[in-house]
Amino acid sequence: MQGWPRIGKILVGAIATAEPRAPRPRFRLNLSAKQALFGYAILLPTVAILVIFRFLPMLQAFYFSLHEYDLIRPARFVGLENFIDLVQDPLFLNSARVSIAYVVLSCVPVWVLSLALAVLFNREIRAKNLFRSAAFMPVVMPMVVNAVVWTFMYHQDGVVNTILAWFGVDPIPWLRSSTWALWAVILIGIWRATPYYMVIFLAGLQAIPNEYYEAAKIDGADAWTEFRHITLPLLKPTTLLVMVMSVIVAMKVFAVPLIMTGGGPADSTRVLPLFIYQTAFEFFKMGRAAAMSVFLFAAVMVFTLFQIRLFSGGED
Amino acid sequence: MRRAMRHRGAIVKYPLLLAVTFVGLLPYYWMVTCSLKTNANMFLVPLQWIPNPVNWSAYGEAWRAQDFTRYFLNTGFVAIAITAGNLLLASLAGYSLCKFRYFGRGALFLMILSTMMLPLEVTMVPLFLIVKTLHWPNTYEGLIVPFLVDGFGVFLMRQYLKSIPNELIEAARIDGASEFRIFFQIIIPLCKPALAALGVFTFREAWDMYIWPLIIVTKDSLRTLPLGISLFMSSFGTAWDQLMAVATIGTLPMILLFFFLQRSFIQGIAISGLKE
Repeated sequence: MQGWPRIGKILVGAIATAEPRAPRPRFRLNLSAKQALFGYAILLPTVAILVIFRFLPMLQAFYFSLHEYDLIRPARFVGLENFIDLVQDPLFLNSARVSIAYVVLSCVPVWVLSLALAVLFNREIRAKNLFRSAAFMPVVMPMVVNAVVWTFMYHQDGVVNTILAWFGVDPIPWLRSSTWALWAVILIGIWRATPYYMVIFLAGLQAIPNEYYEAAKIDGADAWTEFRHITLPLLKPTTLLVMVMSVIVAMKVFAVPLIMTGGGPADSTRVLPLFIYQTAFEFFKMGRAAAMSVFLFAAVMVFTLFQIRLFSGGED
Repeated sequence: MRRAMRHRGAIVKYPLLLAVTFVGLLPYYWMVTCSLKTNANMFLVPLQWIPNPVNWSAYGEAWRAQDFTRYFLNTGFVAIAITAGNLLLASLAGYSLCKFRYFGRGALFLMILSTMMLPLEVTMVPLFLIVKTLHWPNTYEGLIVPFLVDGFGVFLMRQYLKSIPNELIEAARIDGASEFRIFFQIIIPLCKPALAALGVFTFREAWDMYIWPLIIVTKDSLRTLPLGISLFMSSFGTAWDQLMAVATIGTLPMILLFFFLQRSFIQGIAISGLKE
């Protein structure tokens, strides 16, 4: 991201010296109207696509959440029935519980680990690029491949249990047990998300001026004091952002549980997006699925509003 | 004293790094080596860490079992189309929102920004119904058009364009350059780093796309690689060597992307979390 300001300045300089700025033409209003038109025109495709494929579906989600609809017979208005049914449906409540468990149990370790890795990689390390690339590799693996390969690794006689056996742990029936399956999915989530947020934390760490650390060294601060009193406070905006982003991403987890367990065993990995998908496209209860979407939307919105506030903090 | 401290740091640091490397690379190692094992050697006790004998036939067998060439090309085509669309539309929209003045600009920007809280997982049911009304299930249009632009890309380009001085555009206008020429010959070249980061980011997401193709594709000729791989897993669940072979091929483009465009790859992710 360096380089361009210099080129820009040279260009401006060249043009400015070659031709002194002309006095404002009298038909200025006309000209800026033309420009405004151009501004609208180049924004139009984006707005059109977002309205048709984002906003319209959202409005329809609200509409269908008040209807019964199976794709064949016309939609029938049922008022709040879908919502009332949902709140009493043990499967939905279970699914919400699984989602919350997934979010909490995967996000908290991700925050700690990604920050720790970022701090580690911010220090002087030999062959830093090599180590950093290796740590980053989980982000590179496509999601579906990720699910397939880990299913294989979680096999009863697979590599995960083999490695655990080195430490004297008995084989774990990862995907076959309703107590372990969610943990299997959570571990993959942690594996994949940690390097992602490590990169964001690294960017945050690199923005902290070195002078602070030098001053702390002169005062004789140890590594922990430095971390506690310089790194952590100055990293606060980044930390908040990582927290919000990771929660939103975790709320949307879908491919891994679908491919690895299909939501089982005994519904133990049926996260909310997966349940929505199955309600809509396996049981064709569009209205009910839409009502669930509204719940998910409310949860995502709370966190996204928070994220946008963080994003545009310090802006005009 | 200082040297001793540094030494102590290294004792903790490097084993830790090796552990991280091991955890980060293990699934890759396992995927590739097991694609070269014979199925009989897959769950030997003790586990085979190096395939013996090395067996390449899984790749051919998997390729004959399903039309993976087609899936691969489908995924590539869809991902490239989505990436191209995002680069063009997001830079146009970002340019418009950043450098032009017109009625409703702030509201439009807020509207675009707010689409970031409408993830596919929330809107998939009605979006499917809309795409069905357009007769787009089982078409490339259905796979591509809904994702041609995204709020994040517009936001990113607008932020980046802020750092380009208005004088530059004014000067070009005074020179008599047309608006389109200004955009393609001045703005676009200056945005290269942001476009590279956005491009790699979008391509990666598009290559990964799973839930949407799963919903709207039922025809074999339209299947993308993620669909093909998950289908292969459910129908040939025990042919692990072939499954790992397919997974390896599906990962290869992302690995190449990472190694050749590492800077942009990482920048795209760093930017997704930064305010500037």
